Amino acid sequence: MKKPDVKVVLLGDMNVGKTSLLHRYTERKFKDTISTVGGAFFLKQWGPYNISIWDTAGREQFHGLGSMYCRGASAVILTYDVTNWQSLAELEERFLSLTDTANHDCIYALVGNKADLTDLKAQLPLDLSGASPASLSGTGLHKQVPREEAMALYERILRYKGLDEKSSLPAEKMCFETSAKTGYNVDTLFETLFDLVLPSILRKRNENLVSPTVDLEEYREASARRGKTCC
Amino acid sequence: MDRDGHPDGEAEAEGMNICRPLKETIPSADTLATSLSLLGNHMFSYPVERDDGATSDQQEPPDSYLSHVTVHDERPDEEPDSNHRESPQTEDMDNSDCHSNDSRTADGGTKEDVVDIDQSDSGEFVVTMLAKAKLEEQGIGVKGRSSPLLEVGTEETPAFMSHRDEDVTADSWREHRKHVFVLSEAGKPIYSRYGSEEALSSTMGVMMALVSFVQSGDNIIRSVYSEGHTVVFLQKGPLVLVCVSSSRQSEEQLRGELLYVYYQIISMLTQASISRIFEHKKNYDLRRLLAGSEKILDGLLNLVDSDPSFLLAAIHCLPLASSLRDSLSQILQKAITPNLVFSILIAKNQLLTIVQEKTVIEDTRLEPADVHLLLNLIGASSAFQAGEIWTPICLPLFNPDCYFYAYISYLDPPECTVCLLLLSTDKEAFYAVAECKRKIEEAMLAQNSLSLIAKAQSYSVSQVGVSDLRHFMYKPFDVPDNHRQLTQFTSPEMEAPYSSEEEKMRLLDLYRYMHSRIHSTSRPLKLIYHVAERETLLAWVTSKFELYTCFSPLVTKACAITAITKLLRWIKKEEERLFIRYPPKYSTTPNPSKSSRGGKSDQQDSTDNGFLQFVLTRQKLKTLRLTLFQEE
Repeated sequence: MKKPDVKVVLLGDMNVGKTSLLHRYTERKFKDTISTVGGAFFLKQWGPYNISIWDTAGREQFHGLGSMYCRGASAVILTYDVTNWQSLAELEERFLSLTDTANHDCIYALVGNKADLTDLKAQLPLDLSGASPASLSGTGLHKQVPREEAMALYERILRYKGLDEKSSLPAEKMCFETSAKTGYNVDTLFETLFDLVLPSILRKRNENLVSPTVDLEEYREASARRGKTCC
Repeated sequence: MDRDGHPDGEAEAEGMNICRPLKETIPSADTLATSLSLLGNHMFSYPVERDDGATSDQQEPPDSYLSHVTVHDERPDEEPDSNHRESPQTEDMDNSDCHSNDSRTADGGTKEDVVDIDQSDSGEFVVTMLAKAKLEEQGIGVKGRSSPLLEVGTEETPAFMSHRDEDVTADSWREHRKHVFVLSEAGKPIYSRYGSEEALSSTMGVMMALVSFVQSGDNIIRSVYSEGHTVVFLQKGPLVLVCVSSSRQSEEQLRGELLYVYYQIISMLTQASISRIFEHKKNYDLRRLLAGSEKILDGLLNLVDSDPSFLLAAIHCLPLASSLRDSLSQILQKAITPNLVFSILIAKNQLLTIVQEKTVIEDTRLEPADVHLLLNLIGASSAFQAGEIWTPICLPLFNPDCYFYAYISYLDPPECTVCLLLLSTDKEAFYAVAECKRKIEEAMLAQNSLSLIAKAQSYSVSQVGVSDLRHFMYKPFDVPDNHRQLTQFTSPEMEAPYSSEEEKMRLLDLYRYMHSRIHSTSRPLKLIYHVAERETLLAWVTSKFELYTCFSPLVTKACAITAITKLLRWIKKEEERLFIRYPPKYSTTPNPSKSSRGGKSDQQDSTDNGFLQFVLTRQKLKTLRLTLFQEE
């Protein structure tokens, strides 16, 4: 099996568009999705690396599993809906504590999805410059979460994690506004994150190469496989 | 209760069915009748009459509250046998008596405006209050008024309207064939099949009032019959489930369907956590935990309506050459990891094979209902089929209080017809279980299994080679060596004249009718020969099987009997292909070195392990419960 090099987790309240974001990024499409059950695991090739992505259910019903999905994560994408203030509040109330099991050097991104509902610029995908201007209809919904609020939450997350603001990634860089519907900023989000977690992949690989100590995890797996048909 | 078979039983057919006799007269039948009529006025498109003395109906004696609100004893001998000459063995029936018996009095002229509840019996029940609240809130009975909430809903473009946005005051809402409501004992709405729960909160309040009113007299409300509608109640722990159906299904069948809804809820939350939640907080809004699961319940109800598996409480597996089925089972058998308990392979939403942990088989058998719930979950969660899903799931009939962890993955993306389902008792086992899938994938690739599976399909009734036979459902009770295994049934594709959705439904309705006669609680039958308008049906139950057959309308009784003999012979011959005959087993002990011995681990070990697994699952449940409660 291709062993994933790094783990990325999507967290956030139900209906903010976690599955749609991932679907837009991997399938280049936007379609109606059904509320996710539990969590869904995806393996994404990023150059020579395997990135595992956990798309989790936002429903309270599955809350108990959240910390399991986050265990050992290198990046957590905290997703909210820009038209729903409560979805941002939920991140802090409900989801932040789940990230306690993530890696100590885990990076956090705050993503406000559904930006196409509030921002004209998000109605056009960035990579599609030639779209017809007729599609630029008026913005239907009131934006409830200004980006500044998300940035403030990002600072609070850093403090919660006991991370030094100066040595951490700046809020300016880690707060995104996206639209899974139009594709606005979606590639930027994932690619920025993958670029950022790359160092941690490399370091992990190096550690595995030079580490003189026995990796218990590795050992246990090997013994579990022993005697079975194939390895 | 069998309405169609009792042309004389109308008085009781239109009434209320309570499971224990009331010792005296109902203290406030008037109130009860009022709330019934209020419920009726919302639910049914025609007026349900409120029969109070002042406007008493011509054909009813004035003192006849009890003929509308009839209390039924559980004892079968209470049921009047009326003028039915059918023997318990066979029964000949005239055609169309099943679907044209609508001779009940049309009571269109006796409708009343229910708004003026002239309740002199003070201190009467909340029903009245609730009912009034309902009228004000939703403009029921007050023409031209509807709540602002609903108007917002109707302004939306129809394309975006789901069942949930339906206007619950509209006629179209009332005309749905089968409504299902779930509410808490505090009367809080939990689920409605059509329309939003918020808009229906007062309707559900009235339902709860009915339930608790009857309860206050130490009784349990079971059903209410009105013209064209049957209302069935089911109370399970802190949940109340109500079905309002205009299908002609029996009360038992409808209650069975409600039970499936209950089990589906349990499968998501477990019985223990639901009880705990409501012990803790009586008026908890369970929708908080079920939010997002409505589609799973919707899907279940659609399946219940269209798939006879639920009626027969049996599993329909995809016909497959036994050699292929065996090789698939072996692949599953080899790909194991500690704490894996079930490996299930599904194609086109039908079972291909199922392999179980050894101790699990000896302990309990897997109930068809649990498999139905799993299949429904897979169907309803296929939003994003490229991924591998990991989710907790409870099998309520196996153990209503514990979670399994289900790994769901499609083996043939992007078509996504072949699905692998692996159940583990270990919450953290995702990566180990995913590794099992990798092995299964490899083995299937090596044996070219996917393309063989793709060729498998359901069969045509013409293969049986019996003219006049249009369709059948056969459920054996004793597949040899299989009596403790999964109950299965086999059935060909529904072909012309049952190709359209309406015709399929009509045939299923006929089967449901036959089923209700066979399984009637008051007068069960062994054999029914039923000449309907456009087909002739024969249902037969023995100690060995249950069989439902559908023939062309011109078949003679003798012909049908011969045909059935031929059919039984054909099934016997095809048995290996039609059923999972010998479900294979494996043994997964917590110790990896033991698991490498495959299925050959010794008895003692695996028995201990089964117990351990059970304990472990309980532990996990506790942890989960704790997390649930930290929420509040």
